Amino acid sequence: MIYLDHHAAAPTSELVRQAMADASAIAWANPSSTHRAGQASRQLLEKARALVGQSIGAAPADVVLTGGGTEACNLGVRGLAKGRRKIITTAVEHPAVAESVRHLGRDGREVLAMPVLAGRPPAPGELAPLLSDDALVALHWVNHETGTLFPVHDYAQLCRAHGARLFVDATQALGKVPIDVASLEADAVAFAAQKIGGPAGAGACWVRRGIELDTVLAGGSQERGRRPGTLDTLSMVGFGAAASSIGRRLDQQTTIAALRDRLESGLLALGAVPNAVEPRTTTVCNVSFPGWEGAILVAALDLEGVCVSTGAACSSGLQQPSVVIRAMYPDEQWRAGSAVRISLGIETTDQDIELATLAFQRVLSRSQGQKLNQI
Amino acid sequence: MTEPKRILVAMSGGVDSSVAAALLHEAGYDLIGVTLHLWDAEGAQQVGRCCAPEDRDDARRTCEHLGVPHYVLDQRDAFRKHVVDPFVTDYLAGRTPIPCVSCNRTVKLTHLADLAERFGASHIATGHYARLDRSFDGRLRLLRGFDADKDQSYFLFGLPQSTLERVVFPLGELTKPEVRKAGRRLGVPNADKPDSQELCFVPDGRVGDFVGRQGRESKPGRILDSDGTVLGHHQGVANFTRGQRRGLGLGGGGARYVLRIVPRTDDVVVGQEKDLYDRELVAKDAHWVADRPAEPFEGEIRIRYRHRGAVGDITPTRDGFEVRFAEPQRAITPGQAAVVYRGDEVIGGGFIA
Repeated sequence: MIYLDHHAAAPTSELVRQAMADASAIAWANPSSTHRAGQASRQLLEKARALVGQSIGAAPADVVLTGGGTEACNLGVRGLAKGRRKIITTAVEHPAVAESVRHLGRDGREVLAMPVLAGRPPAPGELAPLLSDDALVALHWVNHETGTLFPVHDYAQLCRAHGARLFVDATQALGKVPIDVASLEADAVAFAAQKIGGPAGAGACWVRRGIELDTVLAGGSQERGRRPGTLDTLSMVGFGAAASSIGRRLDQQTTIAALRDRLESGLLALGAVPNAVEPRTTTVCNVSFPGWEGAILVAALDLEGVCVSTGAACSSGLQQPSVVIRAMYPDEQWRAGSAVRISLGIETTDQDIELATLAFQRVLSRSQGQKLNQI
Repeated sequence: MTEPKRILVAMSGGVDSSVAAALLHEAGYDLIGVTLHLWDAEGAQQVGRCCAPEDRDDARRTCEHLGVPHYVLDQRDAFRKHVVDPFVTDYLAGRTPIPCVSCNRTVKLTHLADLAERFGASHIATGHYARLDRSFDGRLRLLRGFDADKDQSYFLFGLPQSTLERVVFPLGELTKPEVRKAGRRLGVPNADKPDSQELCFVPDGRVGDFVGRQGRESKPGRILDSDGTVLGHHQGVANFTRGQRRGLGLGGGGARYVLRIVPRTDDVVVGQEKDLYDRELVAKDAHWVADRPAEPFEGEIRIRYRHRGAVGDITPTRDGFEVRFAEPQRAITPGQAAVVYRGDEVIGGGFIA
């Protein structure tokens, strides 16, 4: 199996698996319990929190651990919205952010979604006129489907200058670009363990000190009253272990870039049309194949032992035309239906790329010039 | 058929397609399970609703049980365009359409044949009760399934030879009880699931309500007798089909039946049962499984799925055929398929004008 879907989930490393195996006999206990069993679990949890904080340049006390990336995004977006009348976002956000914003819109707030036409993020100059001191800006650092880098540092300075609040979804940025929340000047930033080789049930929302965050869930007063419910210590141990090797991930980016570029030029030679523009992360190649439905291409490649995706995975296993690509290319509807996302990670090898390119070649040669749904 | 290598199995999540997959797997074929998501099921409580998440889960469980890959593919747009929209249009025009025919011809088998090619599969298999046989001239013949009660050859007359060449019907020589038995023997997880009924996307059978939900309300109209006397009013022609007795809302008098629906005026004409019998029909948009017959011939014609078939003379016309039955037939209904058989063989079919 050639795994090229690292933007969906990065494989766990031996280090992560070992850390979780070692912790499993202790981590079952409730970390909020007073007794020694609870204390042992609490100790593991706090160690994990420190490792996560370290990987993003944050003090442990400012890291709210959550049950995954979507929860972290909900907490950040909806938690910061108190007293904000205007929500500014982009048209290509992950559903965790897009739906959180939509939810706020239903409460009567004004919602502005900045276009990302032809894959180009809004220039800071496009954001500036929209800002006001009752605005919340909620957007991602790195797009999950195209790897597009958004100039969040520039956005942050503008937000600060206008008194607007800023939430950054850094889910796909972690491990791909260096992150230092202390210098980012955002108000809340969301992360997910799954994208750096940790378990899916662990995430984090960094919150600027002094910011009062509305809770999203109703319940106990865990996480300093910001995230109720018992955290899964075991998942957090995995998150901590994965975060501890962030440096190694970042060091590999040049190697990954070379592999990605080789793959991409191979696919372009097979007739692929690129969907992403620079600057973008080194980890992903998003292209459309005319005459193919992305979902069918993904299944055909899976039968050849190559794992890729059309974009955001959906629980039903049903792959939909990409909302992101549709928003980027509204005048070229075919692109969204024909898009595939091939995402690489630190485990990807030269041979993987070579075999994957051959698999694409085999599959694409099967249906020359035929169009689906024209029956 | 050339000998299949890799086979794409169309899996609805029902017993038939699951057992079809299990039988092919037992025979040693390399399988790919595919579930087409055609329609968003309405009404969470409704049993037998179409494309429900639990059906997809059943298809997936069967594939897991067999150890074969399974994919769910979204064909909702194509299903709406090729099946549901024409269905609604036909009903509003006073016809009683048979959407399974166009579904098999477009969204299902023809599309799956293309999909199979893209998946590197030589053939597709379905759980239809029908058989194929190579005739002496090299063409494929479409035959009734052995189970007379379940036979689905009626729905398949529209398939071109190029599609038939790539199709496998593993259940064609089995009866439904044998299929369930095979399912239990092979450990198919849903072997005892109830059969689906009615049209897959109108599980409650209330077509008038369904048409209304598609945002295309059928207009109210008059109910007349054959002399043109107004007997009452109705809420829309989509609620009626030829030969229908219930739901007319006419008090008193003897039993009355829908004789015909007048498309332009939306009038429903009613009368006595004896007026429902006709000796002739005209079929349009015919498709012949092999060549279009050059001469008139005698055959057996089924005028609806549950019709046992009646003997008649068939005269091919330019794009259809005309039938003269030996005995008058009850409620020959515009929009339904007239399918011509010779013995077990489907010669062709068309849509009743």
